[in-house]
Amino acid sequence: MKITVHYTINGKGVDLEVDAGETLLEVLRNRLKLTSVHRSCEEGECGACTVLLNGEPVNSCLMLAAAADGAEILTTEGLMKGDRRHPIMDAFVDLHGMQCGFCTPGLLMTGYSLIQKANGGDLDEATIRRSIEGNLCRCTGYMNIVTAIQEAKRQKDAGNWW
Amino acid sequence: MNQFIGSRALPDLVYHRPNTLDDLLGLVKGVEGDYRVVAGCTDFIPAIRGGKWRFADGINVVDIRGVKSLSGIREENGEIVLGAATRLSDILASPLIREKAPALADAVSQMASPQVRNTATVGGNLCMASPAADTAPPLLVLDAKVTWRTADGEETAPLNKFFLGPGTTVLSPRSVLTEIRFPVPGSDEAARRTRMGQRTAFVCSIISVAVWLKGSPENIEAARIAMGAVAPTPIRITVAEAALAGKKPDEATLAEAAKTAAAHIAPIDDLRASAEYRKSLAETLTRRLLAACVEDLTAYKKSKTK
Repeated sequence: MKITVHYTINGKGVDLEVDAGETLLEVLRNRLKLTSVHRSCEEGECGACTVLLNGEPVNSCLMLAAAADGAEILTTEGLMKGDRRHPIMDAFVDLHGMQCGFCTPGLLMTGYSLIQKANGGDLDEATIRRSIEGNLCRCTGYMNIVTAIQEAKRQKDAGNWW
Repeated sequence: MNQFIGSRALPDLVYHRPNTLDDLLGLVKGVEGDYRVVAGCTDFIPAIRGGKWRFADGINVVDIRGVKSLSGIREENGEIVLGAATRLSDILASPLIREKAPALADAVSQMASPQVRNTATVGGNLCMASPAADTAPPLLVLDAKVTWRTADGEETAPLNKFFLGPGTTVLSPRSVLTEIRFPVPGSDEAARRTRMGQRTAFVCSIISVAVWLKGSPENIEAARIAMGAVAPTPIRITVAEAALAGKKPDEATLAEAAKTAAAHIAPIDDLRASAEYRKSLAETLTRRLLAACVEDLTAYKKSKTK
């Protein structure tokens, strides 16, 4: 069954015809070529496919594309400003918040969402670790991911943010 | 979709998303062929991918998330009412739940991951009827009732009578779970819950336990004890509850009730834990939770007499 959906993806409106049996992950990757949305476990365990749906992190592998009709979707591509990396991306690069990089887009989206909702002041380690429970990283041991998210929060508080 | 290797592709679905309860119930009544009622889909999709559920092309998927009246949390006539399609993240964020039913908020805070909680629903957790369903033990001790509707009427049952076995419930055919409700706990009531997993984050419970006490530090008027992952369904352990009613909750009484609770469960050995370990945890966790509830009742009494 074909279904017509409308999304606002990374700020742009998109009308699409999707299969009812397609997940949001499949549509983002295969139809829209948003390849930052990584496909891995496909059962919601790893978080590599995390995108923001109406500002909240969700596993795009666990959502039917049809069920996301009308939603605002943000992927890591949408964090870029032209050729400029988002400050949270710079923090991950500068503080070695990644090794192989496979989990990184998912962690960027979860971290970005956490920082967007946080008030002023530093984020404590426990809060960050609880927030990234749904994102598996098999390389770093999370230490540098946590410090990168803390640094990104400082960047936001310093006004270096969008 | 055939480029997806390693896990099973979803079948071709016929997707329905009605916007009103009447449309939903009419659709479920009249739909021809195989159908499933879905909400967050966080169990539905993995069940197909993993091969637990197999459907032929053309299965009808009825998404209830378009019906706004099925989502939300409200206080009404001395009860807290949860719409069946209320997301776990909304329960966790609810000031009403945090204040009046912290044991439920606590359970939800340990369920799955933030990403899953942002789509998964409380009704879905109950309807999947996992023995380890983490919303069940706190809702059981809060004396929750569940309501489901068909195009022709409505039925309500205590949650205690809802589960029949792993993955099966008393829900009648062509019905949709609509509400979960429980009495607003009074100030002479205390409820606590905990669970044990192989690690703290994002795991299925080895065991989860919830207890509820009503009364004073001198006299327990009534008690409820519920557990998950120790039997084919989440269960109340009424024998142990009866052992507390009308007693002074001293250390020996609590220990005896915890022992009784552990003696009346039927856990299994599985990849997460042995039955023996679960029994041991059942006793220890119950005893600690009962003691914590007695402390809650004591603290309340002190605050009242100040």
